[in-house]
Amino acid sequence: MAILRKLLLRALSLIAVVLIVLVLVVVVLGATGFSDRILSSVISEEMRAVRQQLAETIRDPQELERALREQRRELEAFYGLDKPWYVRLPQDVLRVLTLDLGEARTVATAQGSKRIQDIIAERLPRTALLFTTALVIYFLIGVWLGTLLATRPGSKLDRVLSYFAAVSFALPSWWTGILLILIFYFYLGGLLPAGGMYSTPPPEGGLARFLDLAYHAILPIFTLVLVATGPLMYVARTITLNVAQEDHVTFARAKGIPEGLVRRRHILRVAAPPIVTGLILGLVGSIAGSITTEIVFRWPGMGQLYFQAVSGQPDESLIVALTFVYTMLYALARFILEILYLILDPRVRY
Amino acid sequence: MESVLKVILSSGVGRAGLALFALLTGISVYVLVSYPLDYGSRVWYNPAVWADNPAVKPPIWAKPGAVPHSVFLQEEPTEVRKASTGERRLYRFEIPHPYEKPPDSLSLTLTEAVYYSRPPLLTVSLTRPDGRSVRLYRYSPPAPRPGEEAPYVRHRDSPHRVDLGADPQVRAQVSAFLRDEYGLRLSANELRGRLMEILFGEPTSPEERGGPAAFRPLPGTYALEVEVTVFDRRDRIGALQAVRGGETFGWMGTDSLGRDLAQGLLFGFPVSLIIGILTSVLATLLGASLGIMSGYLGGRVDLLIQRSADVINNIPGLPLLIFLVFIFGSNLFLVIIPVIVFFSWPGLAIIVRSMVLQLREGQLVEAERSLGATRWRIMFRHILPQVGPYLLAQLIFFAPSAILSEATLSFLGLGDTSLPTWGQILEGAFRTGAVYRGYWWWVVPPGLLIVITAVAFMLIALSLEPIANPRLRRS
Repeated sequence: MAILRKLLLRALSLIAVVLIVLVLVVVVLGATGFSDRILSSVISEEMRAVRQQLAETIRDPQELERALREQRRELEAFYGLDKPWYVRLPQDVLRVLTLDLGEARTVATAQGSKRIQDIIAERLPRTALLFTTALVIYFLIGVWLGTLLATRPGSKLDRVLSYFAAVSFALPSWWTGILLILIFYFYLGGLLPAGGMYSTPPPEGGLARFLDLAYHAILPIFTLVLVATGPLMYVARTITLNVAQEDHVTFARAKGIPEGLVRRRHILRVAAPPIVTGLILGLVGSIAGSITTEIVFRWPGMGQLYFQAVSGQPDESLIVALTFVYTMLYALARFILEILYLILDPRVRY
Repeated sequence: MESVLKVILSSGVGRAGLALFALLTGISVYVLVSYPLDYGSRVWYNPAVWADNPAVKPPIWAKPGAVPHSVFLQEEPTEVRKASTGERRLYRFEIPHPYEKPPDSLSLTLTEAVYYSRPPLLTVSLTRPDGRSVRLYRYSPPAPRPGEEAPYVRHRDSPHRVDLGADPQVRAQVSAFLRDEYGLRLSANELRGRLMEILFGEPTSPEERGGPAAFRPLPGTYALEVEVTVFDRRDRIGALQAVRGGETFGWMGTDSLGRDLAQGLLFGFPVSLIIGILTSVLATLLGASLGIMSGYLGGRVDLLIQRSADVINNIPGLPLLIFLVFIFGSNLFLVIIPVIVFFSWPGLAIIVRSMVLQLREGQLVEAERSLGATRWRIMFRHILPQVGPYLLAQLIFFAPSAILSEATLSFLGLGDTSLPTWGQILEGAFRTGAVYRGYWWWVVPPGLLIVITAVAFMLIALSLEPIANPRLRRS
């Protein structure tokens, strides 16, 4: 029961974070007048349809104009544009929460829908695919290498990888991606694709399609793993090293417990929860990395959408939606890691 | 402060980091002294400045045998001769050309000509290493318009530029030169596109020739001479600029707009150091004061600060950063740095609070309190110095992530364009597809500099580990 209470508490605090971000976004939008602009563009969109409809039944132009004005006033009242933004606040929060933000300017789904909800629904799985795969890979590699290094501190491998960890912390993932494109696409004569998710045209058949996807995902995943493994490995190494020097480990060895068992039960088991904490702390960086990596590799997920939304003719509604969805994604990933932490750490279960 | 420096110097990493940092600072000071402060808008983002530069050329050291692109500028004549009416002023451009290849192009630009009676006459000729001289081009600025008063100003805003490798006048002159000097008869039309090859070469001898006229390169020093005949001594010529087009440019090459990347990269040094240092100082100040207040005052203040810290700590940075910078504009000092600071302080505030909680119960604070010191005095005169060394270490931890955050924003096209940064150079490279065309000199150096700067701070931070990690210090 205690564990459920803890989880509930964490869930509540993460929901609070999401709500606070939401309110922050809405207040900023309202206070700077962005919200008014989004709403009036939504209304103009609807008015166009209304005009067509009314034009078929009302022939007199003056009559038509009057009817249209009336219609617009009604819509403005419906969306709350006739009230100041702070009165509209709860309504706006609800709209962002359901991603009911109208239509995107230029981006559309494969089916041609410009509704932001549809666009996000199409892109979210692609982002999740890249992000989750990379997360699992660098978690496994980082922990494995880190604990391996902790068994032989000061060795040549240990020193080399420690420097790698320091450099990889300073490595922007987007620049790493650019370098990898330069090497694997330009200098190695197109060994790996420079971007995209499928070849054009995409191959037929389920397996061929999957292999094509995997082929395109190699470089972006490699980029994410490369920049994230170093810091995690370093954290895992330091923590394992600290645990290995504690008295209970010496005692276990003195009891004559085999070395392998000591490592598994007395070192790794104790080191596991703080390593997960390290992973949690690195999560913000991973999210940022996944956004820029998608941009560099033109991976058609939400990160790339961000780039499209801020460049050229900026798309405010998309930016709001993406900011919110990323906050949700972060909260969700964090919650899953918190569960992992609770499972690993027996102390919090009291 | 002194003890911190001692800790840094006691380890190899620390010394390396400090040396790197000193180097970066040195370059930054040089740039701050020698570049104008409005460099971004006046030079870097001003296409007129780069009009004469070639687009996407690699640095000169990348292709040792290739002809480098060079710009020769003269504002004063090399020689002045008096004439019966007015003067003859000679502008001489020495062009060293020790290459086995002709240049890609040769052009001359006249900026501002002011005259009082008749327009001055410009005569351009090229003297070659073999002593032969070719008259290439004659030009006079437009005559006075009816009703216009002296002095007559020409080409002040739109300089007169002539491409000596393609101008029809030059073609006719070169045709005559070949006929007179070598007895070769080539019509002006046959010379199209071959002028550079002819001017910077000599015809192969008749035995070798066999077929149509061929030319071999003639390495040596060339002199481009511009004789300006003025008819009034008060007449002025602003500047003359000769440009030899080549395959390489400068120390770091150029981008697709012909900008000298060496300049942009240099300007990035002070900007990124300022971003790193300013952000970390502000974040440390904020985090430390809130942490101390939270720990010492306790109660509702503590709760408020710690809850806010928790929330901000749980916000995914980049999406919010993009959102806020997008809404409030990308002014570096008013928006980007404050927003990064806003997302940086919580971790520090939480740790400082826990340190203060211990200190608060210590004897020093108890003694202070019994002497009647105010809370603020205790917090900032007695507690602050005790957490000081830790804060200094933390200060350096903040810098690399601030530099990386700004670079990422710039890469997304949200950078402050009044201050060009390495991130902005990379953004331009990525947007124009430099990566796919293999323009490595445009893509690799800026990123490398970002990494080096961040690593410099991190090496110093690593050497401060014993201070930053109190648990390690105790053992």
